[in-house]
Amino acid sequence: MMIPVRCFTCGTVIAGHWEEFKERAREGDEDPEVVLDELGVERHCCRRMLVSHEDLVDVVAPYQ
Amino acid sequence: MAEYDVTFIEREEREARFLIRGVTPAFANGIRRAMIADVPTFSIDTVRVIENSSVMFDEQIGLRLGLVPLTTPLGDFDIGDEVTLALDVEGPGTAYSGDLVANDEMVEAADTDIPIIELKEDQRLELEADAVLETGRDHAKHQGGVAVSYRHLQGVENVGERDEFADDESHIIRGVIEDDGDLIPTEDFGNDLTNRYPDTEVKVEDVPGAFVFHVETDGSFDVDTLVTEATATLRSRAEALTDAVAL
Repeated sequence: MMIPVRCFTCGTVIAGHWEEFKERAREGDEDPEVVLDELGVERHCCRRMLVSHEDLVDVVAPYQ
Repeated sequence: MAEYDVTFIEREEREARFLIRGVTPAFANGIRRAMIADVPTFSIDTVRVIENSSVMFDEQIGLRLGLVPLTTPLGDFDIGDEVTLALDVEGPGTAYSGDLVANDEMVEAADTDIPIIELKEDQRLELEADAVLETGRDHAKHQGGVAVSYRHLQGVENVGERDEFADDESHIIRGVIEDDGDLIPTEDFGNDLTNRYPDTEVKVEDVPGAFVFHVETDGSFDVDTLVTEATATLRSRAEALTDAVAL
């Protein structure tokens, strides 16, 4: 639904990076690897949180 | 008291790497565990929802709020103390952790850009929440340290020239190496010893009693506070034990 607040594995707060990541790597055409490096998301456990996330608020909103 | 020595390799507000010499593996692990479980932080524990017309259930919002790190001025509060926070956001828009307003100005969201929930037209989130000061032993959301770890300092010794026909393989190593008293993080040479010592045979050995800690905090306080508070809890427990067994 919404990006998890913290990384499931290590507990680093990653939610704050989501909007920039989405804008640059999902909607934009930048390389996700470069964006994650620049955001300072180093560990692969934290990186997968952003790479594998899908926002679902827009999908469920009509059924409220 | 035993002699020990601390050297910083990397030192930022929320992340640090430092070397401690002259401690036993048990003591190094004691510090690590104390940083994770014994240093208290504020975290939202009880939520009173006044209005929630968002697409998420109250419980899901409560979980997200609990994970938001709150700045924790240790020393001004005792374990169990509560601070009340309020959130009131109306859609369309997103409710962020920065929208949380506390009744005590010393406590606030450490990161203000965490999205709590996206609100559509006519949706509203209004709630009151109690943050409580507790330790990581009680609940993982109260852990101030994130990914706290240590590894041995690795001494690298030059043992002569590499055989002319030796396999041209990389020698990957992670952490911090010590070469003639110099401390070098392995990232400086791409984690590959053959980059730093080409055509040289090297011997890598753990340096006894020397541990390189890597400490990150979730923003509740800085690394210095986390480490000093962790060692203070170790000391207070050791003193409690001394008192308990004293004749």
